[in-house]
Amino acid sequence: MTTIRTFMTDDHRRCDDFFAEAEQAIGKKNLPAARAAFGHFRNAMLAHFDCEEKTLFPTFEAKTGMRMGPTQVMRMEHGQMRALLDDAVDALEQANPDDFLGLADTLLIMMQQHNMKEENVLYPMCDQHLAGETPELLARLETELAEA
Amino acid sequence: MQALLSFDKTPPFAAPLRFFITAPLFSLAAGLLLLWVGPDLLASRWTPGLLAATHLVTVGFMLMVMLGALIQILPVVAGANLDNPLAVARWLHAGLAAGALLLAAGFLLGNGALLGTAALLLGLAVATFLVASGRALAGVPSTSPTIRGLKLALVGLAGAIGLGAWLAVAIARGWAVALPSLADLHAGWALGAWAGTLLAAMAYVVVPMFQLTPGYPARPSWWFPGVMLGLMLAWGLAVWLDAPQGIRLAQVLSALLGIAFAVLTLRLQRQRRRARSDVTYRYWQLGLASAILALAMALTATAWPALADRAGWSILAGILLLVGGFMSFIIGMLYKIVPFLAWMHLRNRGGPRSPVPSMNRLLPEADAQRQMLAHAVALALLLAAVIAPDWLARPAGVVLAVASGWLMVNLLGAARRYRQHLEKLDREAVAA
Repeated sequence: MTTIRTFMTDDHRRCDDFFAEAEQAIGKKNLPAARAAFGHFRNAMLAHFDCEEKTLFPTFEAKTGMRMGPTQVMRMEHGQMRALLDDAVDALEQANPDDFLGLADTLLIMMQQHNMKEENVLYPMCDQHLAGETPELLARLETELAEA
Repeated sequence: MQALLSFDKTPPFAAPLRFFITAPLFSLAAGLLLLWVGPDLLASRWTPGLLAATHLVTVGFMLMVMLGALIQILPVVAGANLDNPLAVARWLHAGLAAGALLLAAGFLLGNGALLGTAALLLGLAVATFLVASGRALAGVPSTSPTIRGLKLALVGLAGAIGLGAWLAVAIARGWAVALPSLADLHAGWALGAWAGTLLAAMAYVVVPMFQLTPGYPARPSWWFPGVMLGLMLAWGLAVWLDAPQGIRLAQVLSALLGIAFAVLTLRLQRQRRRARSDVTYRYWQLGLASAILALAMALTATAWPALADRAGWSILAGILLLVGGFMSFIIGMLYKIVPFLAWMHLRNRGGPRSPVPSMNRLLPEADAQRQMLAHAVALALLLAAVIAPDWLARPAGVVLAVASGWLMVNLLGAARRYRQHLEKLDREAVAA
C-alpha cells in the first residue's frame, strides 16, 4: 500500500531529477537549457511546498493539535528555499554561472536536510496519525501536484 | 514525541564548530612529531612516536570531528535532540583535546601515569557523549538503515574506547597481556565497528542525496552495521579463547565487508548526476581508493602472515586507511558541513529576504582544491617515507603539517566571514 511517506518521498526524488538536469545544463554552458530546466525544477518544488502547506500540514495539525511543532519548522524552511530559488533564477537571468552554482550547492544541501527530516520524522508521523484518511489524502495530494 | 516537538532545535554553531576548527591542530601535531623524531618513528608499528602520531590522528582529528558532527547531525537524521548540546560539546571537546594530547605524550615518553590519565579522561568524555546521545536516541525507532547504523556505531565506539582505555591502563601498570592481538582488536573495533560503521551510516544518506546517485540497496545497507559488529564480537571472542584461526577468519571477513562497501560506493558514485567534480567528491574518491587498497593489504597479510611481519607492510596499510581513507572522507565532508552551517545560521539570524553570502563565498572552492592537493602530496610522501625513511620521513611530516594547517586556515576563514556577516546583520538590526 502506498503510504504518505513513500508518495511524498517519490516527489522529492522527482524534484532531485529536475535539479540534476538544470545543473548539468549549466555545466555544459547551455544557458537557455539551464533556464528551462531550472524553471521545471522550481515549479516542481513550489507545487510540492504548496500541497504540503495547503493540504498535508493542515490535516496533520487538525488531527494532532500540533500547530507550532514540526510543520511550523518545515514552513519556515520552505520560505528559505523559496528565497534561494528566486536568487538562483536571478543568477541565471544575469548569466552568472558561478553564483548560480554556489546557490545551487546551498539549495541542494538545504533541500536534502529538509527532506531528511520530512522523510524520517514528519511523514512517518503523518502515516501514524492519518492512517484512517490516507487514501483520500493521497488522492488530493496527487491531484494538486498534477494540476500545478 | 518530545524529540519531535523540538524538531527545530538546531544546536548553536559554536557546539560543532569548536571540534572542526581544533581537529586539524592534532594532525598538524602528528606531522610535526614525524619531523622531530625523523626516520626512527617509522621503524616499526610499535615505536612510541608512531603510536603517539597514530592517536593524534585517530583521537585528536578523526574522533574529534566525528563526535562534533554527530552533535549536529543526530537531530537532522534521527530527530534525536541532545538535552543540552552546548554543555555536552564543551565537556566532550575539552576531554577529547586533553585526552588526545596526554595519550600522545604518554606513548612518546613511555609514561604510565600520563597514559592512565589519558584513558580516564577519554573514557569519561566519550561516556558523557554516549549517555547524552543514548538518551536522545532511546525513543527513536530504527526506521532507516542510517538510524540503525548510528545506534550500532555507538556500541562500536563504546567497545573501541573501552578496549583502548583498558589497554592503556594495562601498559601503564605493566600487566602481562597479549598486547599485539589486543591492539589489533582495539583497532578493529575503532575502525570497523565505530568509524567504518558510522561512515557507512552517513554514506547511505549523503552519497545519494548530495551527489545525486542511486540509493544504496536496502537489504545490504540494513545488514552491514550488524554484521560488522557481529564480526568484531566474534574477533573478540576468538582473542579471548586464544583461537588464531577464528581471529584470522573474523579479520578476513571484516576486511572483505569493508571492501564491498567501498566498491559499491565507487560504483554508485560513477552513476552520479551532478555536473561538477567538486572537492568533496574528489576527497571521497581518494578516500575510497585508499581504503580499498589498505583493506586489500590487510587481507593479504592475513592470508600470508609472513607479509605482516615485514617491516612497513602494516604501517603502509595504516597510513592508507587513516590518512588516505578516513581523513579524506572527513575533510571532504567538512568542506560542505562548515560553509552550510555558517550559511544556515546566518539565514536563520537575518530576515527571510536579507542577502546572505552563498556557501562558495563563505569557503571558496579554489582554497579547498589547493588544500586537497597538499593532502594528496602528504599521503604520497608518507607512503614513500615508509620505503625510504631516511630521505622522506621529515619532508612527509612537514607536508602533513602544512596540509593540516591549511585545512585549519580554510575553516577559520569560513568562520571569520560568518562572524563578519553576523556583525553586519546586527548593525543593520540596530539601524532598523
